[in-house]
Amino acid sequence: MSRLFHTLVAALVVMVTAMAARAAEPVSIPVLVPITGFLALEGTAQRNGAVLALDTPPAGVSVTYEVSDTATSPEVAVTALRRALDRFDPVAIAAPIFGTQMLAMAPIANRAGVPLITVSGTAKITELGHDVVFRFFPTDAVVKVAQARYAVRELGVKRPAILYQTTAYGQSGHGHLVRTLAELGIAPVLEEAIDPGIKDLLPALERARAAGADGLLLQLHSGPTALAVRQAHGLGLGLPIVAGSAMHQPSTAALLDPAALKGVCAETASAPIADARPAVKAFAVAFEARFGTKPDAFALGQYDGVRMVLAAVAGGARTAGAVRDWLAANRYEGLAMSYVSDGTGNMAHDAIIVCYDGNSRVPRIVKRYDAVDGIR
Amino acid sequence: MIEAIPQLLVNALALGSTYALAALGFVLVINAVGAVNFAHGELVMLGGFVAVGLAATLPETAVLPGLIVLPGVMLALAAVGLVLALIGYAPLRRAPPVSVFISTIAIGLIIQHAVTAGIGPEPRVGPPLIGTGSVELFGAVIARQQLATIAVAGLLLVAVHALLKHTRFGRRLRAAAQDPVMARAIGIPVVLTTAASFAMAGALAGAAGLMLSNQYFVAPTDGAVLMLKAYVATVIGGWGRVWGAALGAFAIAAFETVVAASVSYLVAEVLLYVGVLALLMLRPRGLFGEAEGRRA
Repeated sequence: MSRLFHTLVAALVVMVTAMAARAAEPVSIPVLVPITGFLALEGTAQRNGAVLALDTPPAGVSVTYEVSDTATSPEVAVTALRRALDRFDPVAIAAPIFGTQMLAMAPIANRAGVPLITVSGTAKITELGHDVVFRFFPTDAVVKVAQARYAVRELGVKRPAILYQTTAYGQSGHGHLVRTLAELGIAPVLEEAIDPGIKDLLPALERARAAGADGLLLQLHSGPTALAVRQAHGLGLGLPIVAGSAMHQPSTAALLDPAALKGVCAETASAPIADARPAVKAFAVAFEARFGTKPDAFALGQYDGVRMVLAAVAGGARTAGAVRDWLAANRYEGLAMSYVSDGTGNMAHDAIIVCYDGNSRVPRIVKRYDAVDGIR
Repeated sequence: MIEAIPQLLVNALALGSTYALAALGFVLVINAVGAVNFAHGELVMLGGFVAVGLAATLPETAVLPGLIVLPGVMLALAAVGLVLALIGYAPLRRAPPVSVFISTIAIGLIIQHAVTAGIGPEPRVGPPLIGTGSVELFGAVIARQQLATIAVAGLLLVAVHALLKHTRFGRRLRAAAQDPVMARAIGIPVVLTTAASFAMAGALAGAAGLMLSNQYFVAPTDGAVLMLKAYVATVIGGWGRVWGAALGAFAIAAFETVVAASVSYLVAEVLLYVGVLALLMLRPRGLFGEAEGRRA
């Protein structure tokens, strides 16, 4: 009896020691994002958000990570993914904002069963039937609805002109804007597709004026958004502008005189520099201290996503499969919003509208649209 | 829309002026070495960032910040042009022109990524040549900055013209470009004239970058688009034709603005490239003919 008791105790000690050792063993969460090329601005925000989260894991969680640049091609992203899967046995991967890269990476990650944590807006990445893609940024089905509703219902716009980029980002947003406007009984008076390389937006603004537009809806990248706002101001157009999420980025506002921003609004998932909640303020301060730049919604979305993975690990999910199941089944109170999967990996369902008062480059949150897609 | 025509024309002229400066530098290198410098767009972009950096050293109360930093930007980019010649062209001068294409593409990418890594991916706004504000002209409100851009770019174009046409240095440069073997035989230092061409191209790219960076901002990835404009301007104007490229640049800007304002940007883009294809079929040597033996 005594011998059996000692054997059981010894076995228990071994088991507990092994479990403790495994719990203390660091988990790997590689960061694969575009930090060069045309999405470097957004990719760098992603990288910084992920790194800030990984540098401050919850108590009891040890984590290792390596940042790899996925640049602008799917091939580079797939190579980085294969390398990360081979070398690190990751529990999750912070994955690119670039939808084309995500579409190439998702099947490979799906076969490996490793969750991809992203802020990519490309709708299709969560529509392919893979259960490893988790998106911590609202899709166009959320933010474009907020943008159109705010313009029509709050600003009284009845004859909007839509200026959108010819890229996938621009066309996706344009489609959702037109659909939502139609639901609101509004027909745009101008829909103008603009290549990102176009330097002068005056022709489009003049055509909007000639078409009798009473408001501008922008779905442009950062530089073109700032250019449209500045040229509209210089032209004395006097129309309300509700821009896409590029406008909320501090680097976009930095291109403009505060006076040119008067009356300009934008949709976004969050606005860390405008949010007065203490936890978000603390995040914004820590982010700026660490990276020397102000955070945007992409940074905060990626931060929240990685924090949710770390919460899963702290909750006992020590393998990629366990983390995937945890993310799919649990709600997480992030800094930007409350995240929960809609069953396909879309975790973010809220949007906000921010507006500038013409005196500062820091916007004010003027309207919140919660559970726009019906997911609570 | 009719009342906007003066404003649209001034915008087109200002944009065309900066494109012309870029195209001029592009052609100078083509003429000097018989190969395309695919890093030229990145030199324009770098000029914008150098302007942003130099302007940051000025006191906030500085008047004419763009004009103050313009010589510094041109000098800095002239130096970059020399370095480009040294590492991107000189080691490959006896190799086929395609080697220079590849080396300049590589250098362009290095410049782009170095700017992204060293300065950041955010777009920046460059210093204005003169203060902000606008003037009324033919009933239209025209930004003073646009008028200043046209004036400064025009002066630089005239200065380059005078340098190439009316100075001994310019004559040597043209002689070396037209026939380097004969030029060398009569004692013209072809290596120096080639280096000078790269330096001038860099300086003009810097000036174009400064002016574009204020009006249209500057981002590390802008180089490819600017390179394409310079290339198309050169094709339109005639391969190797210095003033043909400048006029081609004005034509691109005017065409894009007028068609975009009348129909749409997409139609303007499509028609521009259909027009270029038609030109290549009907007048393969460009509107003003091709400088002999220049096509690589």
